[in-house]
Amino acid sequence: MDIALETEQLGKRYGRRWALQDCSFRLPAGRIVGLVGPNGAGKSTLLHLAVGLLQPDAGEVRIFGRSPYDNPATLPDIGFVAQDTPLYRDFTAAELVQLGGRMNVRWDAALARERLAQLGIPPKLPVGRLSGGQRAQVALALALAKRPRLLLLDEPVASLDPLARREFLQSLMGSVTDSGTTVLLSSHLLADLERTCDHLVVLHSSRVRLAGAVDDLVDAHRQLVGPRHVGETIAGVGTVVRARHTERQSTLLARIDGVVDPEWTVHDVTLEDVILAYLADGETTVARTDWEVPA
Amino acid sequence: MIWLTWRQHRRQALFTLVGLVALAALMIPTGLMMRASYADKGLAECLRVLNAAQPDPERARLCNRALNQFADRFDSMSLIGVLFLVLPLIVGLFWGAPLVAREVEQGTHRFAWTQGVGRRQWALVKFGFVAVVAVIVAVVYGLGMSWWATPLTGAAQQSRFDVIFFDMQGIAPIGYTLFAIALGVCAGVHWPRMMPAMAVTLGGFVGLRILLTVVARPHYLPPETRTIPIQGTIGEPGGALGDWILEKGIRNAGGRMVLSDAQAACSGAAGPAGGKCPPIVEFGEGAYNWQLYQPADRFWLFQGIESGIFVALAAVLLYLALRGIRRVA
Repeated sequence: MDIALETEQLGKRYGRRWALQDCSFRLPAGRIVGLVGPNGAGKSTLLHLAVGLLQPDAGEVRIFGRSPYDNPATLPDIGFVAQDTPLYRDFTAAELVQLGGRMNVRWDAALARERLAQLGIPPKLPVGRLSGGQRAQVALALALAKRPRLLLLDEPVASLDPLARREFLQSLMGSVTDSGTTVLLSSHLLADLERTCDHLVVLHSSRVRLAGAVDDLVDAHRQLVGPRHVGETIAGVGTVVRARHTERQSTLLARIDGVVDPEWTVHDVTLEDVILAYLADGETTVARTDWEVPA
Repeated sequence: MIWLTWRQHRRQALFTLVGLVALAALMIPTGLMMRASYADKGLAECLRVLNAAQPDPERARLCNRALNQFADRFDSMSLIGVLFLVLPLIVGLFWGAPLVAREVEQGTHRFAWTQGVGRRQWALVKFGFVAVVAVIVAVVYGLGMSWWATPLTGAAQQSRFDVIFFDMQGIAPIGYTLFAIALGVCAGVHWPRMMPAMAVTLGGFVGLRILLTVVARPHYLPPETRTIPIQGTIGEPGGALGDWILEKGIRNAGGRMVLSDAQAACSGAAGPAGGKCPPIVEFGEGAYNWQLYQPADRFWLFQGIESGIFVALAAVLLYLALRGIRRVA
């Protein structure tokens, strides 16, 4: 299977703080991958490493087998839309399409024009005067016009209202499903990703908590309700991701690896349940000491 | 890439052009006026008269009057010249510093550097573009100012080495302008915020210019010394016109400096005009005027050295900027 993006022990440090650490995963080509995590989890750092804007401080990242940092040869394969969709605000959309043609080897200007026409984006207006949603669409159209094999989108819908958000994601899906483009899009909102992604990477506190195909992840986890659990092993349960206890019973979200002890009632989980369970297990102790608040 | 650079900076280029045209509209008429007046009064001939070994007193009197008239009328013009001292700095602040800093501040570097061309090529084209524009602007105004300032320096019997006059004309401004731009670019790469980059450019440019002007420029070449016997009564005993006098004083027969920053001549009554006069008691027998100077004909050599230093510094800064741009996140 073709690997679009692969990281190995990847790490990036700002001063003494690690923004990303021990990051290892593989994204098979052709997937729509969601990169989830709260603000500050390291999502942008990971994407900037992947597109070669940043140099790794540890480990490696490879795009179709090549390291992207200081290597313009990887650029034609990657379409990138940075957070807040930065574009030259005094350029018109038409000029940006023209610009893309001059700065790229492979450039499908017709594709960009057709998309922008379909979306009713005015070509002669400086993009600084477009709405946030329109600007995001322009940025996406420019990224798609490169005909990239890997499309990286950093919080593409964060600044959009719910309607524009849905439209954006729909138009994104419409354009990548046929071409076989691998998409990695980050968001701190689960709802955005649930409908669109078939693969998931969960980042929290600069580490990868979970990575895999959505179906596998949902299949592998169950919610268990049973007698109060104090850490003993349960038959059929691999790891307990999160546990909540009342006086007499415990509710666990766990990765299962066989038939579960019949003493426990087993429920199916949604993707959201799984992600929330992994995100809840964050490191708040550091913040507590920083704030001089007792844990 | 070139299209992007042009499209992005065409407004800046237009402003620069408008500024230059406005300056030309000020400088060309005043320059022509000064030249016309200079020729009318026959000042070129006058300077030869005054500079002769034995000036004819009557002609010298008339000439001095003409020179004073010219100076009264045009002396304030040299204030306009000061404007041109800050021109390289303005170019550095508004062309150099924002080149990378503005992109990073607005996040557009993430767009520009993830298109098909790498950031190194982006930087080469951009830096090249502003450098070429800067050189063109500097050549035009440096040589233009040489033309403009010639009657002023001539009539004032000043040296072209004088601090303001040396700095605003010739080829030195090319070095200054390139250096200011390179400093701005480099500051913007290593501290990619507009305000800090502009502040570094301002401080660095002014600081280094003052330092080199005061400390280094007098020593680009070993200065020459000249001794002039105390004789004659007209004005200060001079050497050749336009020399850059670094130090002067009166030394006694033994060569010891008895009075610095001064030159002596005979008092009118003491002896015949132009002849030797009896020794001045204060300095003793055999005292003489002494000067340490850079000859006037070294002007273009000094311009070349000054410009060369700043061009070399600019090259180093641009190299550092090209290296540093790989680490801009």
